[in-house]
Amino acid sequence: MQYLSLPFISTGIASLAVGAILSLTGRNPRPIAISSAFMSLLCFLLATCEVGVAGHGRLFDPLLPFFDADGLDAVPMAFYAALTAIFVTLAPKRDASGKALAGMLIVSAATQIAYAGSNLAVLVAGWWLTSVPFVLGMFGKHPGQKYANGILITSCAALTAAIFVLHTTQLEDLSHTTMLAFGLIIFAVILRKGVFPLHGWMVSAFEHGPLLPTALLFNGHLGALLIARSEAIALPQTAKHALDILGLVALATALITSVRGLVEKKPRRLLAYLCLSQASFILVGLATANAEGITGALIHWLVVSTASAGLICIVRVLEVRVSVIEDPSGHLGLATKTPRLATFFLVCGLALIGLPGTLGYCAEDLLFHGALENHPWVGLCLPVATAFNAINLMRLFSILFLGVLPKHVIDIPDALPRERWPLTACVVFLIFGGLLPSTIIGWRSEAAQDIEKALGVPVRKPHH
Amino acid sequence: MSPQTLLPILIAIPGLLFLGFSFIWLVGIHVPERAISSLTKAVYALLTILSAMIGWKMWQGGIASVRVSMGDWFTVADYGFPISLLIDRLSFPLVCITVILAGVVGSFSVRYLHRDPGFYRFFLLLHLFTFGALLVFTADSLDLLIAGWEIVGITSVLLIGFFQYRPDPVRNALRVFGTYRIADLFMLLAVFLAHHWFHTASWGGMFTGDWPGHSNNLDGSAAAVIAVLLVFAASGKSSQGPFCGWLPRAMEGPTPSSAVFYGAISVHAGAYLLLRVEPLIHDSKAATGMVIFIGLTTAFLGTLVHRTCADAKTSLAYASQTQLGLIFAEIGFGWTTFAVIHMVSHAVLRTLQFLRSPSMLRDYNRVHSAAGGKINPTGGYYESLLPLPVQVWLYRFALGRGFYDAILDRFIVAPVKGLARLLAIFEPKVTIKTAAETVKKQAS
Repeated sequence: MQYLSLPFISTGIASLAVGAILSLTGRNPRPIAISSAFMSLLCFLLATCEVGVAGHGRLFDPLLPFFDADGLDAVPMAFYAALTAIFVTLAPKRDASGKALAGMLIVSAATQIAYAGSNLAVLVAGWWLTSVPFVLGMFGKHPGQKYANGILITSCAALTAAIFVLHTTQLEDLSHTTMLAFGLIIFAVILRKGVFPLHGWMVSAFEHGPLLPTALLFNGHLGALLIARSEAIALPQTAKHALDILGLVALATALITSVRGLVEKKPRRLLAYLCLSQASFILVGLATANAEGITGALIHWLVVSTASAGLICIVRVLEVRVSVIEDPSGHLGLATKTPRLATFFLVCGLALIGLPGTLGYCAEDLLFHGALENHPWVGLCLPVATAFNAINLMRLFSILFLGVLPKHVIDIPDALPRERWPLTACVVFLIFGGLLPSTIIGWRSEAAQDIEKALGVPVRKPHH
Repeated sequence: MSPQTLLPILIAIPGLLFLGFSFIWLVGIHVPERAISSLTKAVYALLTILSAMIGWKMWQGGIASVRVSMGDWFTVADYGFPISLLIDRLSFPLVCITVILAGVVGSFSVRYLHRDPGFYRFFLLLHLFTFGALLVFTADSLDLLIAGWEIVGITSVLLIGFFQYRPDPVRNALRVFGTYRIADLFMLLAVFLAHHWFHTASWGGMFTGDWPGHSNNLDGSAAAVIAVLLVFAASGKSSQGPFCGWLPRAMEGPTPSSAVFYGAISVHAGAYLLLRVEPLIHDSKAATGMVIFIGLTTAFLGTLVHRTCADAKTSLAYASQTQLGLIFAEIGFGWTTFAVIHMVSHAVLRTLQFLRSPSMLRDYNRVHSAAGGKINPTGGYYESLLPLPVQVWLYRFALGRGFYDAILDRFIVAPVKGLARLLAIFEPKVTIKTAAETVKKQAS
């Protein structure tokens, strides 16, 4: 067993946990939350660097050896820590109460536990913990909360049952019990990621729920992590068919949510459809079972996290400035007053839908090629969903930023410094990642190769 | 310097200018109009000189085409995205008119948009557009072409919605964007299928020899499918056939952008694509027939509607559409050199007309005075040969712009929206209790 030079993972998680407790009890919660988020970011960055330097294999935490970092989870861990830092820094005052910030830090710590877990039991513990702040109502009460909580708990229960079944049987065993376990895993993923036909709760959570914590929950992509982990442990053949079905269901989600967005006018719901549709591509890519598709999916994971975080943050800060945004009767024309926020929004959105020159383009190019190689119909349908999503994005952009400025919006500030710098970081990553994608691909190639090897993909003819 | 060195520099300059301007704006530095105009003029003069140097070197060395391979943008396993540029007898004239006309339009816009709140934004988008257009015309593969293609598309849409404080430009920009995305879908499918079936999407892999005498390497029905998809993609960019409705809507943008996009460069990108893949199209009877049919029907519709338009820019848009239809037909008939000449001359003439359109009434009065107050009306002769009921019917048809929007809304937009509403059955309805309801419940 190889170890990290220092207990970066446990320190990072502990930093978030301590930050949560202090935010809950302290008088000035935001500086505490920001400090703990940046501390954890530093720890996870160092862990990621060590994994990168080590090359192949897992590096265990010397203090708590049931945490580890490898090619698959190291980069998402650092990313997720960065997202947490962005959210707690950028959160408007009304979302930055001690309880809410503590809740966000708990969600973050729990997600990191799920990422870093060296076995499925730790992953399940993290999976459960992410739901706790929502179930306890740390972000306040909102319509549809019971439904969302029900889905989250069912998902946790399904995964727990799956792990229990898996521990009682051997992986190579093709018995009905093993298949039941994989079925439960897939069910848990469908629930958690808001995959069709159970995508409604996520849309409702975006619309009525606390936007930033929901975004944090959504951007954990624990469903994708679980599928990637399941693929990497050499599934039995029948389970691979189950993954194919999951890929098709994810494709249906991508298409259906993109079509649903076409008749939606409320910004939050439109945003939910857009994010859900694009996030479904990750599962589709992981189900393609070839290097291009899997690498594309793993990069798209980073793109969705960054771009959707940017979009969601902008919508939230605009909501705080302009109250009518939740259900606008027409165009809001906010670009006149907030040109920088409009630019950030456009760049993040275009990266999400894969405009050339952004990282989203490279991710989608790989994903489409990979999908077409093994599942031609999937490969042909994905661009359709992207086209609809692009239309949805421009509709959302035009509702928020174009048109005539309402008379009551007299003077609102453009991006404040605490908003500008986190959003600049997102935009810089998306653009420079798109101009020099090889570096980002390098971060994810090891994980993609591992998954591909586990799936036993035959070698194909090279092409340009 | 050799053309191999000059070509990447030529393309990179407007891209770097865009990135530089964007960064300056994001950090909050104010750039005066004078600095922007001086820099723009200097850069486009430099680009023109670079283009001329490339042309001179090629002519002097008797080189028909120059390929610049810069390796792969990214690679994964056995798939790589090549960055390779090509300049030949087809792309050279288009590169030249791009840099010259974009420079002319940039220079014109300095006065036209003086003190406009969107002055900086316009120039930012103009540089991005030039970069995208140069990438389209010099791409050595469909993969790279589509990158430029989409950049041109998004800048076009952002310029249509340039006057964002008016509802019509916003609505029309959205409509144009939707049309672009649907048309680009055909392009994406063509690229992916080319990779899937033939393991190549580069011009070198798809064709043998230099333009215009190059021959097709792809065969079979798969090649025909790709050809048909590319015809649709080209139709979308050039506002032809089923996508002919967007060009008049695009006239909402500022006049200089209309000139450079819809008179000069952007709309000709579709025709350029057809010329580039011309052997592939001619090997498929379906694709050839489609190009000719789409071109001629659009030209007919365009010329009819053009005659009934009340405003100058819309009239010019339909006139452009007519000429592009004819260029499509010429490509379908195999008159490729003629089509290139037609494209270049049309681009130059139309840019001039668009740029003069704000002062058209003044021009007309001057010509009217110079002619001694008498100008004989032109046209109207061939129409008079038709029976009166046919004339009336055609007039109504032209006045309704071929009822294109009504047909599109009835048979495409409405069913898709209906399906979208139907899909709501999978989403539970969350009822929001009002404060009064909550109080009532607590009281009970």
